Amino acid sequence: MSTMNLEPVPGRTDEMIVNMGPQHPATHGVLRVVLGLEGERITRAVPHIGYLHRNHEKIEEARTYPMVIPYTDRMDYVSGTQNELPFVLAIEDMLGVEVPDRARKIRTMFFELFRLASHLVWMGTAMLDLGAISPFLYTFWDREIILGIVEKTAGARMLPNYYTFGGVRRDVHPDFFKEVADLLDHLERRMVDYEHLVLESPVVHARTIGVGVLSKERAIARGVSGPVLRASGVAYDVRKAFPYDAYPDVEFEIPTSPDGDTYARFWVRFQEMYQSIRILRQLLELTPKTGPFKGKAPARIKPPAGERYRAVENSRGELGVFVISDGTDKPYRVKHRGAAFSNLQIIPDLFIGAKFSDAIAILSSLDPVFGEIDR
Amino acid sequence: MSLLQEVWQAVKAIGTGMATVHKRVYEEAPTEFYPYVKPDLPPVSVQSLALVENEDGSERCIVCLQCERACPAQVITIERHRNPEGKGFLIDRFDIDLVNCMYCAACVEACPVSSIVTIQDFEMSTYDLRTLRADIDFLHEQARNSRQWYSPKFGVEIRTEDGRIEKAPPEMQPGGLAEILKPAEEVDS
Amino acid sequence: MSQIPIPEDRHFRPRLFGYDPQKSRPWLERAVYSAYVFVFWLLVITTYAGVPALFGALGWDSGWGFVFMRALQVVLLFLLSAVLALLLILVLRKYLGKVQERFGPMHYGPAGGIQTIFDALKLLAKEDFVPAAADVLTFRLAPAVTFVASFAMFAVIPFASGWVLADTNVGLVYLIAVSTLSTYGVLLGGVSSGNKWALIGALRAGAQMVSYEIPLALVFLTVAVWSGTLSLSGIVDAQLGLWNFLPLALPFVLYVIASLAELKHIPFDFPEAESELIAGYNVEYSGMSFAFFFLAEFVELFLLPALIVVFFFGGWHGPLFGLEPGSLAAGALESLYFTLKTAVWVWIFLWIRATLPRYRDDQLMEFAWKAMIPLALFGLVLAAYMRLIWR
Repeated sequence: MSTMNLEPVPGRTDEMIVNMGPQHPATHGVLRVVLGLEGERITRAVPHIGYLHRNHEKIEEARTYPMVIPYTDRMDYVSGTQNELPFVLAIEDMLGVEVPDRARKIRTMFFELFRLASHLVWMGTAMLDLGAISPFLYTFWDREIILGIVEKTAGARMLPNYYTFGGVRRDVHPDFFKEVADLLDHLERRMVDYEHLVLESPVVHARTIGVGVLSKERAIARGVSGPVLRASGVAYDVRKAFPYDAYPDVEFEIPTSPDGDTYARFWVRFQEMYQSIRILRQLLELTPKTGPFKGKAPARIKPPAGERYRAVENSRGELGVFVISDGTDKPYRVKHRGAAFSNLQIIPDLFIGAKFSDAIAILSSLDPVFGEIDR
Repeated sequence: MSLLQEVWQAVKAIGTGMATVHKRVYEEAPTEFYPYVKPDLPPVSVQSLALVENEDGSERCIVCLQCERACPAQVITIERHRNPEGKGFLIDRFDIDLVNCMYCAACVEACPVSSIVTIQDFEMSTYDLRTLRADIDFLHEQARNSRQWYSPKFGVEIRTEDGRIEKAPPEMQPGGLAEILKPAEEVDS
Repeated sequence: MSQIPIPEDRHFRPRLFGYDPQKSRPWLERAVYSAYVFVFWLLVITTYAGVPALFGALGWDSGWGFVFMRALQVVLLFLLSAVLALLLILVLRKYLGKVQERFGPMHYGPAGGIQTIFDALKLLAKEDFVPAAADVLTFRLAPAVTFVASFAMFAVIPFASGWVLADTNVGLVYLIAVSTLSTYGVLLGGVSSGNKWALIGALRAGAQMVSYEIPLALVFLTVAVWSGTLSLSGIVDAQLGLWNFLPLALPFVLYVIASLAELKHIPFDFPEAESELIAGYNVEYSGMSFAFFFLAEFVELFLLPALIVVFFFGGWHGPLFGLEPGSLAAGALESLYFTLKTAVWVWIFLWIRATLPRYRDDQLMEFAWKAMIPLALFGLVLAAYMRLIWR
């Protein structure tokens, strides 16, 4: 219906076409939305993506299987190892590699650490979009602690290249478990402050409650997933629906909210952080301190011809990968199913009719990361 | 009455938020004084790549091309010729394009003799990107300038005061020490 | 390829005036702030006591001599506002740094004390760019309008008893007239920039003004009714026994909220909302034009808290320790009291800036029309009734 570039309606003088992005401070990178504004109210919205396109899927066809893992890292650069897992799981399925129990638990711990890191970044940037400066710096410092723990084991902070077929690349640092325990204590203290600054703030209430309501039906129809879907009242979580790694061994809940508004999305992410802390506490108890960290994978990865889809629940929703193997050491096709990409599709639904300031709040509640959307 | 309660709740929440923010004034800032104090990076931290020579100055690299094959970004270019005097190969060219390198350390994982290693020197900023197209002399220089480096096969190695290369003590080694040191001893002997 | 040279000197060289920030020296920071406040105080004394005394001694305090005296005072006030902006920007950045678990400026001067001077020099050196789509005359005029309108409020601010440029008996009316003008500068600047974000910012500024101006004027009226005068000195004098914030608690709260809106300060900084409108009305400004918008903002950040102090916190009143009222020493002490009380309110405003997110612009309008105006009217009636009973 809508053309790529919004043209002014002939004879209509009360609508202003505004180009928001790709260099706009609140578009979380390089989103460009062409908006028709009637005063402060949005009449038309056309999102444009692709400013960060790096041709991941095609490059991955030309790389051997182990070489694909660092590329998957670079999709959702905020949540590090979470991107590696679906590809690793799919290839493990095809090869029939046995993953040791300890390796699965370590993988889950890193997965949840990066969920905390990603939600902390979301909290800081969302509050920055709403106009508060201080939470941004608090959350980034907390994230820095998480990245420090990751660096000590994996060697890199944001893009660790840590998971491998059959387990993880190297054993965790001897201080790892103690540091994670300290981090959880620290985060539990800080979460009280974040509740004061974000969830309890009357200004945040005024800006988010009843804003950008996404109905349950609309959410399912548009294929959104993750916190955005759960905030609309659908209790779908890949960790529960199709458990992987160590998730069957731990207890956690899926927080859902029936409201579907921006505040509900904020609230669900907060509760997810509490659940992550809970999962990590259990895993600290469950994970053996020593033991194998890597199963026996063949030296040259050559999955038998066939195809496989595996999905994980990353910080933004269902992150899936579809791999077709033709029996050689390079994949025939790799297709990534990005959560942020699917979540971004509801932008026209939520933007049209909203105020311009609301659009900023809605966008920040979707938590898009453009490395994954543009790929 | 409910309106008054609502107003009171809002005022209380704003007050709590302001107190939350202001109490940071009395806490110590976690700022790192980077240019004055170099950060204490963990030994496995991948900041740059280097090519280690043996203690006697001979080449540790056996030019097996494993790193070139393992590199996902395909930034390693190696040319070699057969050693006319003995067995093995000699290096003609060993270039790493550190601009396009994505520091995944796959080459370090692949190296059978721990010749290519990760080092902690991250201060590579430059005005000219051409200076980051590292050739073999650059990579040797990187190794000579660093006191310790890491490779999965040998673990952390340190260069002592008198120029010898030694295994770092166990407390400097990262996790899975037993797994790391076992194959290393085999290669040494 | 030849061998790439590795630079010998990879060490960080401390800059000019640099000091080791690792050494925690809080007394140094306090000394820097005190130095700024001292310069500010000296300028106030020179403007309000020194210059009249000099002209009086020379016998030039009438006719053209009086005009020259006022002109000199205005020049000194301009200097004063420059010092004020330098101090407030530094305090803002230092305080925001402290509450955000960092240090703020710390490399230039002791405790970063002269950082803002270098920032001002940088703005001076930058190109003053005019976009092709801009209306040049209006674009150039707008920062001047904003600054002059803010600066003109100094005329009726009493720093101590008798220390005021124009102790007119219509001071409140003058304040309403002048403070509204600064919005015109914002409107003109935004509309003439030829930029859609600036246009939205300007329109938001206009919409915001019609929200807060009426409660603000009603609070002015309440204060006038309670004090029985429109002169600012008279209002301060009327608070000798009891500061107004106790009997006029409701108008006081409304006034603080309206001041935040007039300042375009978080939580009401819609015209420049940097995460929505990038920089709003001043997005196309650079160099000294931008600096004048900036200067106006920080002059207002001093003047509006100063008005809070004048209306509700007894202005210059404070213990005089037996000094003779009207003498130079008493005046100096009174102006110090005034400055310090204002500083507390500036700090509270900065504290709010460090904490709160931003409301939506129509929420302020709704709040102003549905809550603040009825409450301000109620406060006005209440004040009139209380004055009838008690005075």
